[in-house]
Amino acid sequence: MMKNILAISLILLCFGIFRVPLGQADEGPTAQLKPTLKSLTDVLADESLKGDAHRAERRTRIKEAIKAVFDFREMSRRILGRTWNEIQAEEQKQFTDQMIKLLENIYIGKLEGYSGQQIEYIEERIKGNRALVSTTVTDNGVKVPVNYILNLVGEKWLVYDINIEGVSLVGNYREQFKSILRKDKFAGLLKVLEEKNRSFETGTTK
Amino acid sequence: MKKPILNNVAFLWCLGALALILSVMVLPAVAAAVVDVKVAPDLLTDGLYDDGEKYDGWEEAEREVADPLEPLNRAVFVFNDKLYFWVLKPVRNGYSAVLPKDVRVCLENFFDNLASPVVLVNTLLQGRFDDAGTVLSRFGINTVLGVYGLADPAATEFSLYPPSADFGQTLGRYGMGEGVYLYWPLFGPSNVRDSIGRFADTAAHPLAYSGLNSAERTGYSGANLINSLSLSPNEYEEMKKYSLDPYVAVRQGYHEYRNARIKGKGWESEK
Repeated sequence: MMKNILAISLILLCFGIFRVPLGQADEGPTAQLKPTLKSLTDVLADESLKGDAHRAERRTRIKEAIKAVFDFREMSRRILGRTWNEIQAEEQKQFTDQMIKLLENIYIGKLEGYSGQQIEYIEERIKGNRALVSTTVTDNGVKVPVNYILNLVGEKWLVYDINIEGVSLVGNYREQFKSILRKDKFAGLLKVLEEKNRSFETGTTK
Repeated sequence: MKKPILNNVAFLWCLGALALILSVMVLPAVAAAVVDVKVAPDLLTDGLYDDGEKYDGWEEAEREVADPLEPLNRAVFVFNDKLYFWVLKPVRNGYSAVLPKDVRVCLENFFDNLASPVVLVNTLLQGRFDDAGTVLSRFGINTVLGVYGLADPAATEFSLYPPSADFGQTLGRYGMGEGVYLYWPLFGPSNVRDSIGRFADTAAHPLAYSGLNSAERTGYSGANLINSLSLSPNEYEEMKKYSLDPYVAVRQGYHEYRNARIKGKGWESEK
């Protein structure tokens, strides 16, 4: 009898111990990233949304999903670097808005070529309020490493950079913008960005 | 980032010999170059990300690519762009229209199989003995069962997926810096280290010992290039579409991609 009680209390204790980390893992970066990425791929795999007729709806759904997972302000801040601190709050907002549009356009373009590629979650690392979620995407039998860098904003883990095969999205735009900033300053950069985004709307991008 | 092949024979032999001497000299240091490629990378402790609230420190750090030849490189970039849209793309489209995808995949397998000795040498030089074993097994299986490498039963039947290795990567793992950025006509982005690597790899390629004349070797390389292009058709145009300064986008992307391949640590794509 005594033994049974001991066993039961031990089991309960174990549960008690394990429940805490499990509960935290539910709120962790991977746990938060997974459903959003899944909702993105679901939109694209959704037969009822296929075809040109549902293009607009598909785009809206993709945009919503992206908004829920990205920290566009942090991303824009890191892309602009020093310049971010030199411009006005209003300009920061203008820039962030253009970056949101650009990212949406990239995602819409990339994802519309999606054909059931599988995302595999390899591991996550947390360091203070930043985290790394490592995944691989299998495309035509090739496993491509895709790493998400996240920032803890309040309760939410939000992505501010994507690193594919060692190539950072933020780093790439940062370097491109640096050369434009050097020549044309912030006003010039904003103009180029606006033009780029307009070209997606009118479908004139080559 | 495929490996096209150059054709200046004498120069290649010299460089090949140089590479051979170099590799014999550095052989004892092999152990030092072993990099574990099976672990996921820790980006958070990477200098590129571990910057906390400071955004300025990031700017000058590892991101900067030395590009003193930028005006010349940009001119070549424009040239290659025209070459792509006026020559390569129409040829590729015609080629894709004539040959079904299955056939093109077979040819790709054949080209890859024939390049195995190059990969083998580099995996050995990098101390990646498991990968070297995989390259050897794959070469054996695919050459025999895969009919001269046209099919890839090593991957489909034996789950042996192709490792990749090149001499630029080998040099990087031995600690050689990348030197200045170079943008070659036709071949595109490179740097001093990777250009030496490409010459050496070309010299080590079986094609160099095949007894084919230079026109025939050019034909082989051209076919390889067009075939590869036909299998990943929109890469270049996509890059241009999403970039505000395509030249810088390619330069930065190439720099980070190569560094990641040299660092290893789970960066590489695996088949």
